[in-house]
Amino acid sequence: MKHLLWMMLFSGLAAVVFAVVSKGSGRRRLTYGLKVFAEFLVIALVLGWILYFIPFR
Amino acid sequence: MVANRLGKHSNVGTPPRAWLIGAAAWAVPGAGHLIQGRWVRALLLGASVWIVFFLGLALGGHLFSVSGKDQGFAILLQLLPMIANIGVGLPYIACWILNVGFVEKAQLVTFEYGNTFFLAAGLLNYLAMLDAFDIAAGRKE
Repeated sequence: MKHLLWMMLFSGLAAVVFAVVSKGSGRRRLTYGLKVFAEFLVIALVLGWILYFIPFR
Repeated sequence: MVANRLGKHSNVGTPPRAWLIGAAAWAVPGAGHLIQGRWVRALLLGASVWIVFFLGLALGGHLFSVSGKDQGFAILLQLLPMIANIGVGLPYIACWILNVGFVEKAQLVTFEYGNTFFLAAGLLNYLAMLDAFDIAAGRKE
């Protein structure tokens, strides 16, 4: 669970930077930041489940 | 037309102040925007980069550096992440002088997270630096 929280924290902070340096109105930036945050989480979770089923050993 | 486009985006006419602000933004995360009076941006960008950096330290991550021992491909494996780490500016140099964060703590469960946080802090600060530079050069509002 802690790992998920670290990932969420990382995603949130990275999304803040991406949103601030992006162009457009404040509202548009906020939407973009939320989108980036959601993308980070969804992609990480999907990749995590894909890797879970791949036997590396 | 191509010449016009090149001229529009070339560094000719970039004020020297913009280069100084870019350097300040690299050295101290958030400083580039703070100098220009962009308080909210400075706070958001600076706080994000500093928090990511200190979390990297707290999680037991290690900063990369190229040493004389590295040979051939090993240099490249150290060089690329080192470039990412250096992006955070003076905190990297301070850690190097104090020898903090350069020791690999593989016994910690979170050390890979720490490495990722360190790398991300530098890369995010590069973005913040370019943003500060663009604002100072008048290329961005």
